[in-house]
Amino acid sequence: MGVRRRVGGFVLLVNPILCDGFGHCAELAPDLVHVDEWGYPIIVTEPVALANLAALESARYAVRGCPRQALRIERVHDAH
Amino acid sequence: MIALTSPYLWYTTRATGLVTLVLFTLVVSLGTLVANRVGGTAVGRFELNELHRTIAAVACAFLAIHVVTTVIDSYVSTGPLAAVVPFVSSYKRLPVALGTIALDLMLAVWASSLLKARIANASWRFIHWFSWLAFAIAVVHALLAGTDARSGIGLAVVIVCVAVVAGAGAWRFAARPTRAAGRTALSPLGGEPERASRPVPRRSEPTARPAPSADGPQRAAPAFPRRPRPGRSR
Repeated sequence: MGVRRRVGGFVLLVNPILCDGFGHCAELAPDLVHVDEWGYPIIVTEPVALANLAALESARYAVRGCPRQALRIERVHDAH
Repeated sequence: MIALTSPYLWYTTRATGLVTLVLFTLVVSLGTLVANRVGGTAVGRFELNELHRTIAAVACAFLAIHVVTTVIDSYVSTGPLAAVVPFVSSYKRLPVALGTIALDLMLAVWASSLLKARIANASWRFIHWFSWLAFAIAVVHALLAGTDARSGIGLAVVIVCVAVVAGAGAWRFAARPTRAAGRTALSPLGGEPERASRPVPRRSEPTARPAPSADGPQRAAPAFPRRPRPGRSR
């Protein structure tokens, strides 16, 4: 077990080809994902700090909850 | 192997078989609700999905008990190989083989779901269709091999389960939603849920947070923007 350094940030990314607009991500990560009027996700594009554990946890829930496995979390180093 | 001839093994096999049937009826029905995009207002869509996954795990546990107690019960000679290889049981060859086939199909569904993040989603979906076939075969297995499924309460349970799953299958086939089915906004994890009934503010309008209601405390504002930039990638 190493010490997890909470530096940098993450973005939640959707594969629009896999996405079928189930809308589970918008329920599980409501601060990161909004749905358009057709039910497809609009995801906050600017990186969120990894230190924001609530946001990170909700993003992980969204990734796990996606019925189409269309979401992934990508680390970026220039978090705001 | 030690000869185990306790009648309680047989009782356990019978009971868990019936419970497994009921649980998989629930699992198939919940899966149909998820696939048909039910929820989003009174109950979250993700909640139905979580229920589907959790009850499926419980059902697999009952199925495991059902199989193990059948194998170790030495009153009838099914043999351990008959648990996974069909048509090797000397006792009730066809009825046990049907249960074995249903079990193998369920094992495929279970394994593919555990490996869901590692395999192509299309593969997972294809394997998931096996669950309908597994249910149908399991029902025939219950009627042919089961001690309780041909009369009384057991038969009533089987009939209700078959009716529910047949209804779910018909609805799944008739509705067939392949694309999105509108908004959903229900979450316990944060923010105020945007109810589907509430009019959605336009982009040009200021997206001010509503005044705190009298019946609950206002949640803390999140430390990152709630609104995405317009015109960016989705």
